[in-house]
Amino acid sequence: MQKKLLPVMSILMIAAFVLAACAAPAAPATEAPVEPAAPAEAATEVPPAAPATGEVYYLNFKPEVAETYAKIADAYKAETGNTLKVVTAAAGTYEQTLKSEIAKSDAPVLFQINGPIGYQAWKDYTADLKDTELYQHLADKNLAVTDNGGVYGIPYVVEGYGIIVNKAIFDKYFAMDNAMVKSLEEINNFETLKAVVEDMTANKDALGIEGVFCSTSLKPGEDWRWQTHLMNLPVFYEWRDNNIDIASDATKDFQFQYSDNYKNIFDLYIQNSTTSSKLLGSKSVDDSMAEFALGQCAMVQNGNWAWGQINGVQGNTVKPEDVKFLPIYTGMPGEEKQSINVGTENFFAINSQASPEKQKLAADFIYWLFSSPTGKKFVTNDLKFIAPFDTFAENEKPTDPLAKEVIRYVSNTDLFNVAWAFVKFPNQTFKNDFGAALLKYAQGNMSWDDVKNLVVTEWASEYGK
Amino acid sequence: MKKSIRENIVYILVLFLAILFLSPIFIVFMNSFKGRFFISDTPFALPNAQTFVGLENYTSGIVKTGFLPALGYSLFITIFSVGTIVLFTSMTAWCITRVKSRLSSFIYYLLVFSMIVPFQMVMFTMSKMANILHLDNPIGIIVLYLGFGAGLSVFIFSGFIKTIPREIEEAATIDGCNPIQTFFLIVFPILRPIAITVAILNTMWIWNDYLLPYLTIGSNYKTIPIAVQYLQGGYGSKDMGAMMALLVLAIIPIVIFYLTSQKHIIKGVAAGAVKG
Amino acid sequence: MQKMPKRYYAFFTLPTLIAFVVAFFIPLLLGIYLSFTTFTTVTNSRWAGVSNYVRAFSEDNNFINATIFTVKFAIVSVILINILAFGLALLLTRKMRGENGFRTVFFMPNLIGGIVLGYIWLLIINGILINFGVDITYSATYGFWGLVVLMNWQMVGYMMIIYIAGILAIPTEIIEAAKIDGASGWQTLKNITFPLVMPAITICTFLTLANSFKLFDQNLSLTAGAPGRESSMLALDIFNTFYGRNGYEGIGQAKAVIFFLFVALIVLLQLRFSRKSELES
Repeated sequence: MQKKLLPVMSILMIAAFVLAACAAPAAPATEAPVEPAAPAEAATEVPPAAPATGEVYYLNFKPEVAETYAKIADAYKAETGNTLKVVTAAAGTYEQTLKSEIAKSDAPVLFQINGPIGYQAWKDYTADLKDTELYQHLADKNLAVTDNGGVYGIPYVVEGYGIIVNKAIFDKYFAMDNAMVKSLEEINNFETLKAVVEDMTANKDALGIEGVFCSTSLKPGEDWRWQTHLMNLPVFYEWRDNNIDIASDATKDFQFQYSDNYKNIFDLYIQNSTTSSKLLGSKSVDDSMAEFALGQCAMVQNGNWAWGQINGVQGNTVKPEDVKFLPIYTGMPGEEKQSINVGTENFFAINSQASPEKQKLAADFIYWLFSSPTGKKFVTNDLKFIAPFDTFAENEKPTDPLAKEVIRYVSNTDLFNVAWAFVKFPNQTFKNDFGAALLKYAQGNMSWDDVKNLVVTEWASEYGK
Repeated sequence: MKKSIRENIVYILVLFLAILFLSPIFIVFMNSFKGRFFISDTPFALPNAQTFVGLENYTSGIVKTGFLPALGYSLFITIFSVGTIVLFTSMTAWCITRVKSRLSSFIYYLLVFSMIVPFQMVMFTMSKMANILHLDNPIGIIVLYLGFGAGLSVFIFSGFIKTIPREIEEAATIDGCNPIQTFFLIVFPILRPIAITVAILNTMWIWNDYLLPYLTIGSNYKTIPIAVQYLQGGYGSKDMGAMMALLVLAIIPIVIFYLTSQKHIIKGVAAGAVKG
Repeated sequence: MQKMPKRYYAFFTLPTLIAFVVAFFIPLLLGIYLSFTTFTTVTNSRWAGVSNYVRAFSEDNNFINATIFTVKFAIVSVILINILAFGLALLLTRKMRGENGFRTVFFMPNLIGGIVLGYIWLLIINGILINFGVDITYSATYGFWGLVVLMNWQMVGYMMIIYIAGILAIPTEIIEAAKIDGASGWQTLKNITFPLVMPAITICTFLTLANSFKLFDQNLSLTAGAPGRESSMLALDIFNTFYGRNGYEGIGQAKAVIFFLFVALIVLLQLRFSRKSELES
């Protein structure tokens, strides 16, 4: 046995070398390769000493588009010679990852903050971007994160979320004799929504679905649709109805006035679902979107970024023309005029502690991405971002069904938008704890009153931390 | 006759337990061939015509997580760290065991003390040190593992060396060998069995280690445990099927290692415990 | 060889010591220092006295809950694992056929890494619980017993090997003598086998105790603390305190120091107690 060990070890060592060597190209380069910036036009020319190629290290927030960034990096390298290194944080771990990466000597130069609250946390690292090219092209300068005249976050994508519906299943329902309504337009408030959903649940076998709503994913890290997006509605309404200026400090008080409205829609989600309410703690967003794609449910709350997930499921049965948005109704008076929720919580920030050269490279990169023909194509077709910059012509907006829906709702001036108030939620701990409480409520282990109390208490105690 | 009936009952009991023990691995293996939506809800069901997807999960799992590079890094880091540890800690253990002085005792107790300290105590500061000293790459991490593994390895080596008679070494010195020659030509070969024990214990630790590589090299280089955890963390396309396949793939190397050197492992575990 | 020229001494010890100091010792001292400060990176620390230690207990209940959970877990695991391992060791030292094969099988789970282990059992436990309409996040109790089962599966084989070695080390003459004297199987076990494997019991208890307290990977993958943070053990709680939110690094470091002292205390107590028992038998 001992004699055999040596050759076995040698083979393993050789195997290790080979695999590590194969892996080397996959590992991003940490040194700037010294190459001529322009493709070799005249081989006899001495490569320019000055703008040697550099590296932009971007910490990406969106796992859905992580693979696209690899392609963007290739294209960026081909066009400018600069390397784009993209690291994607796993869902729910962005803050954590950013914290640990930013302290390193090779820190990300480009990252994102989620709005004014994120800015407070990362103030020491955000550079002033008001002189950058990209900022000049921001269509609505009010959207940026500002402080005393400086610009510290540039929004890079406008997104909308609501209840995504599969019209084909609804059409089947409308065709039934005693259907409550005959068209999607008739569903314009909570009462109607509830009646229709419950009727559909009663008829789910005839409709060929496992539940009206897809799983309400409450797995830790996967619950952001409820603790953030859905929660946006009661927060928005409370601040609107009490004339609270969302930019001011008054947002530190929150009474969860409309907690019953939240409960209305949340109960509807979990009681008319493909999955029993006790099992939601193991469900992820991915599970929900897959259920929708496979036609197992008729509705799922999510945003236009989810189109890629729906489309990418093998065996998906949902046709693009059947995918529509419904606003999220919660039983508020006047909600017939309520639209979906459109806004942004993704702001580019550049690391002020990085060297000026690196900062410039980062600014150049984001400008390239949102203004060059190659970059814009990626933004529109692959990242599918609705970009808030005037560099995009009308025909350069994404054409996926959900993006079109967002644009449709935004253009409908009859309806009022539910702005993204959640950019002022206290912090990630609050959101996580709220999500955990929702899970317990769904499992029947916590009363709604206790959930409400937790929200109010934690909002106050976590605000400003 | 009564005795053999009892023996048979015991045998069947043990056999049953053994099968029970192996079943989790078998269940994962079985599920790795099922379609991704048929796993979570019915993990105990055998794949049937509808749910069987062949090697699809393996191919998608390997691609999604970059399993092959992860395997490469795990192999590289484990093999070289273990080699480094065995070499340097045996040297240190011999030196401080043979040269009795206050310094030697101090070093010994310091190293042994480190075995009790939980990783969380130093994880943050160590990752910062690693970053400052540019040790946060697959080669630098070997230094980290040497520092961390020194305690246990020196402890085990010392225990063994104490039982080696000094006459052989003294004879070598009289013959004119310097300490280096004495160690490498005379002592090290004698240490072989215990060195194998140390190598095996360190291999099992380093191969399966998650937190240390995650905090130091995780953003750039993934080892197998990091790759598995990353798949779970979301990455936009969490896929139960790929996860199952990945779990199987993660187990295979260590099982192969085990089956080829199992006698040594078991002997080593027992020996290590006795010395302790 | 009592004397060795200094340069040789250095040659033999420096590589290990440098790595040790860099990777362990300096971080340890730095960590202790930082536990008395508020900091976000190593360079911007401000002295905070013992406030971190106070806040570790007062800020939220997680630290205390995690401690209770961990202690309960350690007690249950140490007892169960050692009983099962000892039992198996007894069964597998009776010269039955296939003994080596069985030893291999029972030891195998120990090879599998913590993260992978957690996901294997997550699949199985959820698969069982779904028949009751719940999943492992329903209650921390499921997480607790899930971890216990997992720990047992992983460690029983390892401890069994040590016990086997201990049992095989008992001279057969003593057992023979007892049989001749008419001792029953149970009496032999109680009065002869048991006392003579005390050293093995010490080792196994030490190993299972230390491993149970320091458990992290399996906790992360099996429950990640769910529901909420109710099933996070001490190591996971400290990790979350450090990396899960801003501004709590000093508290995280303080928690880690407390954790370290706690583990050290328990281990020392256990070793002292065992040494006494060993000497007595």
